[in-house]
Formats: sequence, C-alpha cells, structure tokens
Amino acid sequence: MRLIAHHILACHAKGCTSNNFPLKFSDVESQNAEAEFSPDFLKGFYPKIEWNVLITTAKEKFIKFGEVSLPEEQPNLEDLDEETLKKIHHVLLEIDVITGKMSCPNCGHIYPIMSGIPNMLLAEHEIA
Amino acid sequence: MVAEVEDEEHARILAKRCVLIKSVLEFFSSGASYEALHLTNRNKEHLWAPFQKNTTWKFSVTGYNQTIPKYRQRDVVEGFSYMALKGPVDLANPEQEFCCFEEYSSKGKEALRPKYDGDGNFICVYFGRLIAKGQARNLIQKYDVKKRAYYGNTSMDAEMSLLMANQTLSANGKLIYDPFVGTGSMLYTVAEFGAYVIGSDIDGRQMRGKGKEPGVLSSAGQYKVASRILSLLTFDVTNNPWRCGGLFDAIITDPPYGVRAGAKRLGRKPGVPSRDSVAAMRDPDTYIPPTHPYELSMLALDLVILSRYLLKDGGRLVFFLPTVNDEYKEVDIPVVEGMELVANSLENFGAWGRRLITMVKKESITREAPDLRPRECSERYLDHYVPAHRDFREKYFAGFNRNPDVP
Ligand SMILES: C[S@@+](CC[C@H](N)C(=O)[O-])C[C@H]1O[C@@H](n2cnc3c(N)ncnc32)[C@H](O)[C@@H]1O
Ligand SMILES: [Zn+2]
Repeated sequence: MRLIAHHILACHAKGCTSNNFPLKFSDVESQNAEAEFSPDFLKGFYPKIEWNVLITTAKEKFIKFGEVSLPEEQPNLEDLDEETLKKIHHVLLEIDVITGKMSCPNCGHIYPIMSGIPNMLLAEHEIA
Repeated sequence: MVAEVEDEEHARILAKRCVLIKSVLEFFSSGASYEALHLTNRNKEHLWAPFQKNTTWKFSVTGYNQTIPKYRQRDVVEGFSYMALKGPVDLANPEQEFCCFEEYSSKGKEALRPKYDGDGNFICVYFGRLIAKGQARNLIQKYDVKKRAYYGNTSMDAEMSLLMANQTLSANGKLIYDPFVGTGSMLYTVAEFGAYVIGSDIDGRQMRGKGKEPGVLSSAGQYKVASRILSLLTFDVTNNPWRCGGLFDAIITDPPYGVRAGAKRLGRKPGVPSRDSVAAMRDPDTYIPPTHPYELSMLALDLVILSRYLLKDGGRLVFFLPTVNDEYKEVDIPVVEGMELVANSLENFGAWGRRLITMVKKESITREAPDLRPRECSERYLDHYVPAHRDFREKYFAGFNRNPDVP
C-alpha cells in the first residue's frame, strides 16, 4: 500500500464519523518503491491533501533515509515548485507499506495490513 | 469503416490505441465493383498523383471474411496501371503502400465452404493509402490471461480488458479505480496506457492468490506496470472507507454476477441469528465477517451512485451490466442525475448478453458520501432518481429491441 491510500482512507465503523482520520500507524514495515513522477497528477490531487496529516506522515519513523522535510505552511497550488512536488510525490507514492496496523484515533478499530493489503473490512457489529 | 479525422496525426493516434484497428488508410475511393471504384479513383488523381514519381511502392489486396487468390490479386493490381506509378516496387519496405480491401458478408453457416469459394462476390471494395498499421492489436497477445503469472476463473479476457481500458481514457497522471478488482485484469490494461490504479475487493484471496507476493502484483510485475499499482484493499464497496469523493478520473469494473463470483455484501439476512462478532473480532487477522447476497439491480444502481461520488467532474464509469442468465432479462441501466450515458455496447451471447456501459460524471457540486445500506426497492425509487425500468427502458430499448422478451 502506497501512502496515498492512507491519505484517502478513514475509519468507517458504525457511528465513527468524526476524528476518524488519519488512521494511526503502528508496527509498520515498509519499503521504498518506484512510481513515475507526474506533476499533473499531484497538482490535481493537491486539493485533497490535508497538509497537517501529510507533514505528520512524512515524519513517520518507518520512512527510510530519514524524514522528508515539508514546509509547515501549505503552499498555494500556484506556488508549488518542483522540489516540493518531488517531496510530496516521495511520501505519497514511493513509500510502500508491507505490514503493520492502522488504528482509528476515535473508536480504536484496528485495520491490519498484510502483504501490502490493508484489511478494511468491518465486523458485523460495526456496520451501519 | 470510413471516418473523417481532422489531421493525419489523429489517425496515427487511433492506430496506436484502438485494439480493433488492423490498419488506417487514407481513403481514395470505393465501389460495388472494381469498374465503379476505378471510375471514382481516376477523378481522385490529386490524392495519388504526388506518389507517381520517386516513391517506392507496393499494393496489397485483402478481404474481410475472404482469402483472395494470388492470380486475382495480380489482376486487381494491374487494373490500377492508369495511376502510372513510376517509382520502383519495394515489397519489403515501400515508402507508400496502396491497399484494396474487399468486404464480404459474414460467412455464418457457410464457414466451411472452400477457401476461395465466392471470391469476387464482395459487397464493396475500398481503396486507399496506408497511414499506419494498428499497433494495439498485439496487446491482446501480451495480456493473454493464460500467459499471466496470476489469474483466476473470474479474470476478464485480454481483448475486453483492453477495450474497457480505452473507454476510461486512461493516460499518464490519471488515477483509476476498480472496486470489484478480483484478480486485477483491468488494472493491468489501464496501467498499460499510463494511469495509476487502485483496486479493492471484499475477498482478499482474489487479489492475493496463493503466493508470497499478492498475485495481482506478480502479474503487474510481469507486465512492468507494478509501479502504477498504488494500492489493493480489502473491503465491501457498500461499506467503504473512502475519506472523501472526487478522487478518481475513472472507475472501471466488472461487477460480480453469475455463479462463480456472486455479489455479496457484509451483514446478515434479516432473521439469521448473529454470532458474537465481538469475540470473533479478537483475532482481526483471521476474522471473516458474514456476508449475504446482494441483489443485482441494486448493485448496479449503487455502483453508479457511488461512482458519482468518487469520480472527479468529467470522470468516467466503465462497467459491465450483468444480465440475469436464467431469466434472459437485462438489468436496466440505472438512471442517476449527474451521470450521463456515453456508450452502451452489447456483447451478444444469443440467449443472453452483457452490456459494456460507459458513463461520464457531469456535475461539479460536492455531494455527501452516499448511503448504500440495504433498502427496499420501492424506497430507492422514491427520492431523486427515476426507476430504471420505467421511462428509461421504453426510451432506450424502443430503438433497438434485441430482447425478444421485451414487447
Ligand atoms: C466478476 S469478479 C471481478 C473479476 C475481475 N475483473 C478479475 O479480473 O478477476 C467480481 C468480484 O467482486 C467481488 N465482490 C463481490 N461482492 C463484493 C462487494 N460487496 N464489495 C466488493 N467486492 C465484492 C468478488 O469477490 C469478485 O472478486
Ligand atoms: Zn473509528
């Protein structure tokens, strides 16, 4: 799972509608993976980015070669330079989570990740 | 097929992407006989005169549904001697290739007739100059399911997966999603044309297979598109964890139908006693929640409603509309405000068929995530959408009434 998925997933257990994003990582094993750099894609995706979440994710210890330093303030779409785009690209598309857990900050539901595939299924008592 | 394009370059692009194109020609003339063809072709001198001098050339004579014997090919070529092509013939590598294409009626039951039988009895013959050979046709071989590292009994065949991928307008920098991804057949073809892809399925085993690495990633590796597979996820699409809408440039999918991969959704049928799922959840790695059948027309409708939420404005939904086999009844095309029909192509299996539906999202408002909880049929027709089987069916099928069951 590339980290972009983490950025667009939220806990969806019954009644869990606020403070359900971002899911909190634990016990993560990740690897660096390839992805073509597409400024057009990143600019199109930019409005969906929650900047604070991105910054926190970029500081995750499992990101090899140290943290990726992004500006604390979210730049305007027009002001995005290639360097910042490359950093966003690296965090969202080039980090591949293989195993680990994502837990909901609100209800505590744990979504396990196995061989790169997060299990987002809900238990019976959790579906709306 | 004769079509008009603005620019020769556009014709070349079509030859690159269209799976069904064998070759693209500059159209010179046509006729029900060669006499008729020559009559118009002589008047089109401005089209072929530029190649009379200093151009190496060759002729080819082919047919649809017919093999044309060598001796007649020679006769046909001689018939064009008035074009006075002075440049040397070059069979291996000509600068220009002129093509005659004879169209014969489908052989049908006569398929077993001798090879040259009926030769010359064509419906129409077309003549033109070769612009480009179709380059996407060999992708059908490349994506052959049987040669794939990982596939299953739900895998979509290569040609159809490619046709579907083209309907999504896949290209570099787009993000495309398959919510019933199974063994991933359409992820590969969509990624072939450049897009990033995401897939999800209620059944993780479909995506994983038996190997150490998920099967879908093994196949993607074989096709050198693994870098474009951004994520595979396990969830029931009716209880999905997407944080927001407007995420995808296209959604491409083969919804579950039929015996092998029937539709399921989380939950229980009313009246089925419930286990203590809290206890079962203690081991979330192995817990498999109960599922119950998912009514077909409901699923198609839910898919369109969910797509309207998840697509960007202008994004496309490409999916197969399942047909109910034993009743030979087509499931209606759902009508949902903001989702416009672009194409509806029938693959006819005789007693039943399946329709490849392409829709485009045409609205810029931001909607709330749709509620896809099981609901009574009557209820879902009460609010903002029109029952698919009422007006729409009449309007739509009146034109081409292929189904003998429809009056
Ligand atoms: C026809 S198959 C798709 C096959 C796929 N195109 C392939 O190439 O293998 C339908 C898939 O939908 C899945 N499915 C059924 N109900 C579902 C649901 N409610 N949510 C998500 N996936 C579901 C099945 O597990 C199955 O893999
Ligand atoms: Zn939660």
